[in-house]
Amino acid sequence: MTGVKIVVALGLVIAAVLIQSTVFQYIRPFGFAPELGLLTVIAISRYLDAEQAMFVAFTGGFLQDLLGGSPLGLWAIVFTIVAFVTVKVRAREVAGPPAVAIGVLGLTVIGLVTYMILGTLFGLGIIGRPGVMWDMLIPAIYNLVLALPVFWLVRIAIRPQERSMIR
Amino acid sequence: MFPSGRRLDRATALFISLLAVGFLLATFDVRSSSGGATTVIRDGAQTLAAPVQNGIDFVVRPVVGFVDGISNIAGLRDQNERLAAEVRRLEDRLRETSALERRVAELEAINDVAAPQDLATVTARIYSAGPSTFDQIRFINKGSADGIVVGQAVVDENGLVGRVDLVTRLSARVRLITDPLISVGVRVQDTNQTGAVTGRGDELLRLDMFDASKPVREGAVVITDGSRFPPGVVVGYVNETKAADVGFTLRTTVDPAARFSELDFIKVIVGWSPLDADPETGDRLVDPPSFTDPGSERQ
Repeated sequence: MTGVKIVVALGLVIAAVLIQSTVFQYIRPFGFAPELGLLTVIAISRYLDAEQAMFVAFTGGFLQDLLGGSPLGLWAIVFTIVAFVTVKVRAREVAGPPAVAIGVLGLTVIGLVTYMILGTLFGLGIIGRPGVMWDMLIPAIYNLVLALPVFWLVRIAIRPQERSMIR
Repeated sequence: MFPSGRRLDRATALFISLLAVGFLLATFDVRSSSGGATTVIRDGAQTLAAPVQNGIDFVVRPVVGFVDGISNIAGLRDQNERLAAEVRRLEDRLRETSALERRVAELEAINDVAAPQDLATVTARIYSAGPSTFDQIRFINKGSADGIVVGQAVVDENGLVGRVDLVTRLSARVRLITDPLISVGVRVQDTNQTGAVTGRGDELLRLDMFDASKPVREGAVVITDGSRFPPGVVVGYVNETKAADVGFTLRTTVDPAARFSELDFIKVIVGWSPLDADPETGDRLVDPPSFTDPGSERQ
């Protein structure tokens, strides 16, 4: 059962990365797209054990690295950190949609800031770019908007009989 | 959260291990040469993902086009009138410039200089972008089977788009000139002075003129100088008039000619290599190879 859950979670993250690279090349309101892979990692980390969540996150991030333009391992690190923090904070989650919304926003920002720092360390020069704050904030807001359907989908796929999406 | 301290330790240990693996991978990837192990892994992943991405793109593209059409219908009448006026203006300009074009063509023929329009190209369609907001890359549906190799220039109908930086048999990755990792040797057309254009990660490019004795003026055309890209390809238009202070580099911004948000079909210039160019002038030293694959065309 655990194996099936990991495979399903991994499938969801892979699907998110593929959708991100295809669908969101067209749908870019104000020139920005959500970070669907990151959002899916946050969502699955709510329902998996810590080790499972990090394993799935690392693998999904590695795929994003393979299909992207950054050095291999950067998104893998970012996804793993986000999964770890999500697992840590989920137990402290205050009930209710506002807490989940703040969580999604905060975790997306943590992920993107981590990527910016790592990307700059590895020569991508992200932090010096003009408008880098918008690169971080607007995808985080889009993730917040998409959180409802993505969390619902992940919950149905991983834990149909447990945990409500927004408590 | 964690039922026992032992379990917390395992999770933390795994977390640290994965971070270490990630850092090792990134370091290895950055330091390895092209064609190394990481390139092989990327090629494999791209080969596997390309059919799926093509499939999703095949489904999504018409839907997005339809929705776009519906949302734009109100503005179509105004747009039509504007375009009609634009056509009349362009027809006037065409008449004025046709005589000049004939003279340029004659001069090029005399000097045996290849204009960008004469180079062999392969037309390709973009089926995917990078999976992150920060990725300044696009994937195209043509690869080494169509004569595409790493380093070739990519253009659209407006100007320079980027450079091929990863190739599989049936697909290739294009790094856009807006990427900070890409630098293009350029010439400002009206002053004929050279400089370099570098991506900034946003919609503008940075222009550095290292030895500019004349100012660059807003709207001036910036073209490739032929060092790593074919000479004479339009890169963009100077965004802001600037003059160099004595002893300082002239730095300003350039509006790229290519419209990156609207890229669909692009052309890969397969008939030119930096090795074919005169290092001083960027002019072609040898004839480009003839490429007769059905997927290619002579532009």
